Amino acid sequence: MRILMICTEKLPVPPIRGGAIQTYLSGCLPYLRQEHEITVLGITDPSLPTKETVDDINYVRVDGKIFELYMEGVIQFLQSNDFDLIHIFNRPRLVIPIRQVAPNSKITLSMHNDMFTPDKISAEEGTAVINEVALISTVSNYIGGQIKALYPQAESKVRTIYSGVDCNQFLPGNDPNMQKIRQTLRRKHNLENKTVILFAGRLSSNKGVDRLLRAIPELTKKHKDLALVVVGSNWFSQNNVTDYVAYIRALAKKLPVPVVTTGFVAPSEIQNWFAVADIFVCTSIWQEPLARVHYEAMAAGLPIVTTARGGNPEVMIPGVNGYIVDQPEDPSQFAEKLSLLLSNRMDMKKMGERGRELALSLYQWERVGTDILTFWQDAQESPTSSEKVDYSALLNNRSTERTTNYFQFRPFDTQPTTIETRNEMLTWKASQENSRSLRRTRRNERRKERRREQKSRRRRRNIEIGKRNDR
Amino acid sequence: MANAMIVPWEINEHTHEFFVPEYILAYAQEVLKHYDLSVKSMEIVTTKPDKGGAIWKIATNKGAKSLKLLHRRPTRSLFSLGAQEYLTEVQHARVPSIHKSKSGMNYVEAGGKLWFIADWIEPLQPVTKDLAGAKQLCYALGEFHRLSRGYIPPAHAEVASRLYNWPKSYEKMVEKMEWFRQIGNAYRDTPASKALLAVVDQFESQAIESYRRLEGSQYSNLVEQGNDYWGLVHQDYGWSNGQMGKNGMWIIDLDGVAYDLPIRDLRKLISGTMADLKYWDITWVKEMINAYHAANPITPEVYELLMIDFSLPNEFYKNIKEVVFEPELFLNEQTATLIHTIVETDKTKWPVLHELQSQWKGMKSS
Repeated sequence: MRILMICTEKLPVPPIRGGAIQTYLSGCLPYLRQEHEITVLGITDPSLPTKETVDDINYVRVDGKIFELYMEGVIQFLQSNDFDLIHIFNRPRLVIPIRQVAPNSKITLSMHNDMFTPDKISAEEGTAVINEVALISTVSNYIGGQIKALYPQAESKVRTIYSGVDCNQFLPGNDPNMQKIRQTLRRKHNLENKTVILFAGRLSSNKGVDRLLRAIPELTKKHKDLALVVVGSNWFSQNNVTDYVAYIRALAKKLPVPVVTTGFVAPSEIQNWFAVADIFVCTSIWQEPLARVHYEAMAAGLPIVTTARGGNPEVMIPGVNGYIVDQPEDPSQFAEKLSLLLSNRMDMKKMGERGRELALSLYQWERVGTDILTFWQDAQESPTSSEKVDYSALLNNRSTERTTNYFQFRPFDTQPTTIETRNEMLTWKASQENSRSLRRTRRNERRKERRREQKSRRRRRNIEIGKRNDR
Repeated sequence: MANAMIVPWEINEHTHEFFVPEYILAYAQEVLKHYDLSVKSMEIVTTKPDKGGAIWKIATNKGAKSLKLLHRRPTRSLFSLGAQEYLTEVQHARVPSIHKSKSGMNYVEAGGKLWFIADWIEPLQPVTKDLAGAKQLCYALGEFHRLSRGYIPPAHAEVASRLYNWPKSYEKMVEKMEWFRQIGNAYRDTPASKALLAVVDQFESQAIESYRRLEGSQYSNLVEQGNDYWGLVHQDYGWSNGQMGKNGMWIIDLDGVAYDLPIRDLRKLISGTMADLKYWDITWVKEMINAYHAANPITPEVYELLMIDFSLPNEFYKNIKEVVFEPELFLNEQTATLIHTIVETDKTKWPVLHELQSQWKGMKSS
């Protein structure tokens, strides 16, 4: 088939600036191009030509960054190019405009985030999209479930295709190819003889790394020689210091264990930090589609502590490849699960090994490629509706305004959404404010804190005295 | 450096007050070539080294003009430039007119940023720092908001809107109260940590209560009217960006305009003014609101949102949020004093809000 794969307006393909969708796309391209004639449509980048053919794949790049601008470029391209199947990544709002210029192509969607919510697409357009696409693949059952909750008629069209990882790039730290890197980086950052806990991801409050930092003091009471590595910048390649980044830096500075913050690490280098680590932690507080880092951690043979949010638990077998934190708002739950791992080093090691096995058997790019090929085959064989709908009214009515309930735009969610969680938290906090018992606990905590301080002051004084005596 | 992208620059004790790197000055000369102006002199008047922006005053054969290097993303700047053009050309508002380039554009792109030239309005005189001045500012603000309604940005501009973000920004404030508490706890050895920890609970409760009230308000219904129905907020309005000219009040520096419920500007102006007074004065607040209302009528629903926005711990938040950057320096004696002042001022806010609330009830029945 002649197939067009359309990326989003955010980041270029190949994934020179990172991006989950871009990584997914280029991970499976080697398998897809063997069967089909593939064109990848994406955005321009100063370091990439606007047109090139690499490994039999045609790349076409149009201006992006702003959705409307990108859409114009996509439509323009499709006006003079025909495809049997058009595979659109994560932008349901491209479907109807594309249908107008490609009336006979099969259209499939690959969904990586909640993009069918009312703040992203109107119910009228969403319904039309579900109607026009042959099939929809999602990166997790969670994402599929969100679509089906809003559009029950999508049931038969939605299927999960989990993402993958390059198991030759991500290797355990004791792999012959990684041992030296592990040693070098550990020596360079004074991590020798430490148990290294790794976080890798965007540094934003919904990714919740602050909760991990806050769990450390409790953890160090029981476990010695810990260290933390925080990999990632706030937003892909830019090393801006946002309020949140400043906040976690301020917390990190006061921690009783070494904290290595790497800033942005190029996608081609990131496996080195996984090889340095002993445990991987994903701290996401938001309903995350399913973070790629889970696959990378498994491939790198790391036991995982992740959160019961969005699709993240779907790749976990609790007690086998790691543990799941139910209430990620609460730092002590991270301390608890991490402590569980750290208390039994044999099990911890085994969980890492099981993770590697899972990655090898379930999450390689070849499996993703095969799944997509089957998916396209099924899409191709799906019945074509002979009825052509005129969407010009819908398209002319395209407005930038969004109508939704701004406080609870996902009322159908079975698990608490971010905002509902917030509401719960607010209610909880308010009720706690009034509760005497809490005040008592706080008083006790303060007392304990004071005692601890006195103790450490005494200790410091003793050290001072010791020093003086040395002189 | 011919094709260098403009980026923020370093300043230190060796650079002079309005230092701008050579390559940017070279760009400025390039930009001027795109205009049919003969420039007699050029004087730098403002720099934003941390963001990469600058303003020059230029004397030309067509009078005094300003040349601005906008630090924002070009697509974001397009939104503001479109707004400025709409306000002058369509609405004839008293904001500086943009001088078009030879090719008829309202900007020139250089170094990956947008530059533009606008009239330099003179003479401009700040209004007096008293109630009469405050009222003039409020009336002019109302006028500006009213005239900004109906603006539609050019096709390739980003739609800069804060209209839908009120719940998010309220949530953010609640969330950051927790950050302040955590930092206060982690930096107990600093002079202001105790003062911070003593009040953070109280301000957090206030923010939570404001969020609840927002949730129970008409907010969702109001914003459904859409961006261009409500028009633009200035976002940086006060005694320097609203000034008296020959034929009335002028509003300048429109680079940060965004769609929003416009009374957010009014809220900021009033709560900022009260912070300067160090107490909430019912007469000032009432008269400022009335002056605004005369130029841009406030419906009971919008009035309710104004009250809710007042109820946030705005001044505490605004002054303390910097704490995340260098807590050990920020949490000094001055900050302890500042917190004390904020708490004392906050005490005088509530009786005023209470009285304003009943005034609203009066408006509702009228």
